Amino acid sequence: MKEFLIGRLSMEALPHEWFTIGGSAFFGALILALVVILTVTKRWGWLWKEWLTSVDPKKIGIMYFIVAGFMLIARGGLEALMMWLQQALGSSDMPGFLGASHGYLSAEHFQQIFTAHGNIMVFFVAMGFIFGLINYIVPLQIGARDLASPFLNTLGFWLFVAGVVMVNMFFFVGGEYAATGWLAVAPLSGTEFSPGTGMDYLIWSLQISGIGTTLGAINFIMTILKMRAPGMTLWKMPAFTWGSLCSMIMAVTVFPLLTATLFLVFFDRYFDTHFFTTALGGNAMMYTNLIWMWGHPEVYILVLPAYGVFTEIVSTFSRKAIANYTSNIIGLIGVSLFALSVWLHHFFTMGAGADVNSFFGVMTIFIAIPTTVLVFTWIATMYKGRIRMTTPMLWFLGFIAVFTFGGVTGVMLAVPPVDFQFHNSLFLVAHFHSNVIGGVLFGVFAGISYWFPKIAGYRLNERLGRYAFWCWMIGFSLSFIPMYILGLMGATRRLDTYDASSGWQPFYVLMLIGGIIIAVGVALQLAQIIASVIQKRRLHDSTGDPWEGRTLEWAVPSPAPSYNFATIPQVTTRDAYWEMKKQGIPARKFEDIRMPKNTASGIYISIFAFLVGFALVWHINWLAIVSLIGAIVCVIARTFNDDTEYVVTAAEVEKMEETRMAKVRALHAEKDTGPDEDMGLLEFIKLVITWALNVIRTRRWRNQ
Amino acid sequence: MSKLSHNTTTQPKAEHGTTVSYVIGFLLSLVFTAIPYYLVVNKTITGNSLLATILGFAVLQMSVQIFFFLHLGRGPKPLYNVAFFIATVGIILVVVLGSIFIMDHLNYNMMTPQATTTKLAQDEGISQVGGEKTGACAYIGANHQVIMMKGKITPLRTESRMCDSLTFINQDDTPRDIMFGSYPDHEVYGGETKLTVKSGHPKTITLNQLGSHLFYDPLQPDAAGYFTVTK
Amino acid sequence: MGVERYKDKTMAESVATSEMNHEAAANDRVMFGFWVYLMTDLLMFAVLFAVYAVLHGNTEGGPGGSDLFSQPLALAETLILLTSSFTCGIGMIAARRGNKNQVLVWFGITFLLGLAFLSLELQEFAEFIREGHALSSNAFFSSFFVLVGTHGLHIISGLFWMFVTLVFVLVRGLNRHLVRKLALLSLFWHFLDIVWIFIFTIVYLMAYV
Repeated sequence: MKEFLIGRLSMEALPHEWFTIGGSAFFGALILALVVILTVTKRWGWLWKEWLTSVDPKKIGIMYFIVAGFMLIARGGLEALMMWLQQALGSSDMPGFLGASHGYLSAEHFQQIFTAHGNIMVFFVAMGFIFGLINYIVPLQIGARDLASPFLNTLGFWLFVAGVVMVNMFFFVGGEYAATGWLAVAPLSGTEFSPGTGMDYLIWSLQISGIGTTLGAINFIMTILKMRAPGMTLWKMPAFTWGSLCSMIMAVTVFPLLTATLFLVFFDRYFDTHFFTTALGGNAMMYTNLIWMWGHPEVYILVLPAYGVFTEIVSTFSRKAIANYTSNIIGLIGVSLFALSVWLHHFFTMGAGADVNSFFGVMTIFIAIPTTVLVFTWIATMYKGRIRMTTPMLWFLGFIAVFTFGGVTGVMLAVPPVDFQFHNSLFLVAHFHSNVIGGVLFGVFAGISYWFPKIAGYRLNERLGRYAFWCWMIGFSLSFIPMYILGLMGATRRLDTYDASSGWQPFYVLMLIGGIIIAVGVALQLAQIIASVIQKRRLHDSTGDPWEGRTLEWAVPSPAPSYNFATIPQVTTRDAYWEMKKQGIPARKFEDIRMPKNTASGIYISIFAFLVGFALVWHINWLAIVSLIGAIVCVIARTFNDDTEYVVTAAEVEKMEETRMAKVRALHAEKDTGPDEDMGLLEFIKLVITWALNVIRTRRWRNQ
Repeated sequence: MSKLSHNTTTQPKAEHGTTVSYVIGFLLSLVFTAIPYYLVVNKTITGNSLLATILGFAVLQMSVQIFFFLHLGRGPKPLYNVAFFIATVGIILVVVLGSIFIMDHLNYNMMTPQATTTKLAQDEGISQVGGEKTGACAYIGANHQVIMMKGKITPLRTESRMCDSLTFINQDDTPRDIMFGSYPDHEVYGGETKLTVKSGHPKTITLNQLGSHLFYDPLQPDAAGYFTVTK
Repeated sequence: MGVERYKDKTMAESVATSEMNHEAAANDRVMFGFWVYLMTDLLMFAVLFAVYAVLHGNTEGGPGGSDLFSQPLALAETLILLTSSFTCGIGMIAARRGNKNQVLVWFGITFLLGLAFLSLELQEFAEFIREGHALSSNAFFSSFFVLVGTHGLHIISGLFWMFVTLVFVLVRGLNRHLVRKLALLSLFWHFLDIVWIFIFTIVYLMAYV
């Protein structure tokens, strides 16, 4: 009876290790703090109406940023630091603490950490940031008011959140995460070798957020193909929109492969099927084949929008249109096409033989060609341009340095006999981190600093931004160049301890120092945001176009109103806004605007989806079935609901525009008596300390 | 204004289809289902050509349904859905054919050394490895036939040379097993422990061991015969 | 309209698209978006087909397709599903004409044919299970049951969707939202028949080649 009611849940599932107790205490305290703050400031209604049930892609974009940023710092980044620390301490002549033979993390725990680090960084940090950028910026760039399906947008976001909750759930219930590596290779991922619930949490967090990603990708494709402003043909779209389109078409192509493969792994574990088992005819190599068919295009899904971001930034800060737009776009398309034909390079060593290996090796090398085309168009754009070295431009230069390193080591690895030496070594780890950090993460940082004025209405503090960038560059170099060398020396990945006689420890210590410098960089980025908020009057963007941009998103005020454009612009050329500025912005005729209503159905469906996953992890069959029915009922309720829009009349639009213009004029008229330049680091630290002391002295919290 | 009030007297748009298009599609699909079915059931062609033919008919029927039922290609331009469909077909081919290509090579390379030697020897007729005979024949000589009908084996005795082939043909409706040696013992011959011969599916072995060998049906041991292999 | 002023044909098209009324544009988007979703579903089936292609020979000494599959049964299922796809199309024509009764009749027939298909398939599964073959017997059965079973689950979802929509048609009458729902449903239903063509060919026919 008990087994029927609560499946395999038991008292042992509750936290009893130092990290599960620590983790659940941390998250618990965080949730408690949020609840207290919301209650005391009476903002529950505001939160629900303005943010959680919002279908505005701008709000959803910001929510993606917040969740992704939180996962970067609290989980992914922290796990990286933990691993760096363990590897610096993990030499065989060092003592062991907390159950570890050397260092402080036991082998089992270390395995869970690198698994979680990979899952979280790829699925929740990188995908989260990318989806946030696309959500916010693409509708503005194409002159649209919203995405094609506001409901799918919010549903996709909340499914993503359900995945985030699922990947953190083991802290509270379960006590362990998968220890299989981020892609959970069979047969290690089967019940025989991973009998615990950790692997099931991996399956369901990836599965639920993966479905959210697929729905989101369909939405973005519908939007870009069907909702562009009149006159904006495909070849007049901005580069970031092109990058997003290529990325989302790839997402729609390969995420179903992941969904199907994860279902097969789930069946092996739940229904005892034999797809990837060692016995009764299963073929574990088929899992590796299928998962990398998804896995390789995934990294291109992440990097293509970043390429688009960089094209925009290079163009704007060189004060030139993109040199050879056609080549740039063909480069993006070329990368997408090739990306679908190279997946075997992740398992050259699995034994497919020379025929197969050489085909995929050649195809992998080919990808360097369209990528190089992209780099040359960027260089050509900068040539004879008037370059402004702002923070976004710094991130671009950092990207060129780091990503090129990753790219050329990638071409090395593409040669099968060379890969036989480097497979699963630290050389490989350094290669892909160069590409993912240098490409995707730097692209996200560049995009955020570039578009922050549009999002917030004031730009970011440039000084702290520069300091943060250099911390990242120095930290990254210190952390990953020794890693390349270690890989060349024969160090393999995923090692928690190693022999002292190998001479590797100094390198690991260097890597740890580099990691700490990166952490300082992240702290500076947070400081940058806070300092910008403090100085927002000074940094305020009154025109909506602080960088002298070329594309349509700069035509709307900062921050954009909920309907984006009061009147949809007519587009005649590429770099539509640049053209509008040249010709003079036409007089506006206001019209009625249909806007979608907020909806909570995304939240409800995701709660049910989470419950289905949770129930299946713990084999609580009745709960799985009931939650599935609940989700279906919610879907039916939403899709048969015909009343999902409201109208903002032309008069109301005119009034809103007037009010906003008045505010801008008033802000302009105010005398700015503040400092002449952006706050520096010392000043920021002084400010924070003063504020903290003030709060303590006046005991301000007593008055709340 | 809803579409419904417009369409009572006007022709439906091409992209939505007419009754005629559905009827044509239905009839063509029936034909394209029946042909491969009967080809397989009657075994008119066999082997790889049959495989190619039925797959071809499947693709043909899919195209018929895509055009006549789903009206793809007849909507307003730009034809994004056609582009997506063609792209999806391409990716499906990559996924399925790519997997077969890779897994086939992997399986071949993952065989044990003995299994690999045997397979190579048989596939490529390699009769000697490192000075040792593999038992495989470099080339196949004459073909002899043994027909099984209504419990009788014809001919009872077959004379053959080394590296000839022997085909068992079953002309009854029920499948028949063949084992070698004398009942109730059995031996392995030509790499086979037991052959299952169905009507219309003859089985052939290579005569690569000298001497006289018996064969029988384990379920009906008096249905037996023998063959003699000389150099 | 002002469309002629654009010499560039693609420009003219993009202006024309934006001049489509809100309703037609929304319809167009939804149909396209659902089509893209169907493509993702096809890709999931592609994985299952690839897995079947790789694993169907792994019967571990047990019976394989040619020993178990009944060709007449497979043909019957194919013809039933094909007919249901046809009746679904006729129902859609009735829906666009606004003819509520015809919609109920033709989609009702589609529904019954779908049920018939499902019952034949369940009978086949039941027989295999009675003979002691299950999902967990070996890789061949795992891949067979999951491939054909996933198609069956899609059929069940389609039937459920059909049922709910027809109830709404009965109760609310045939309005443009419901016509759109039926259009999406018939896309789904036709697509399921196309997937079945390949299951019929690759699973049931190829077993006997």
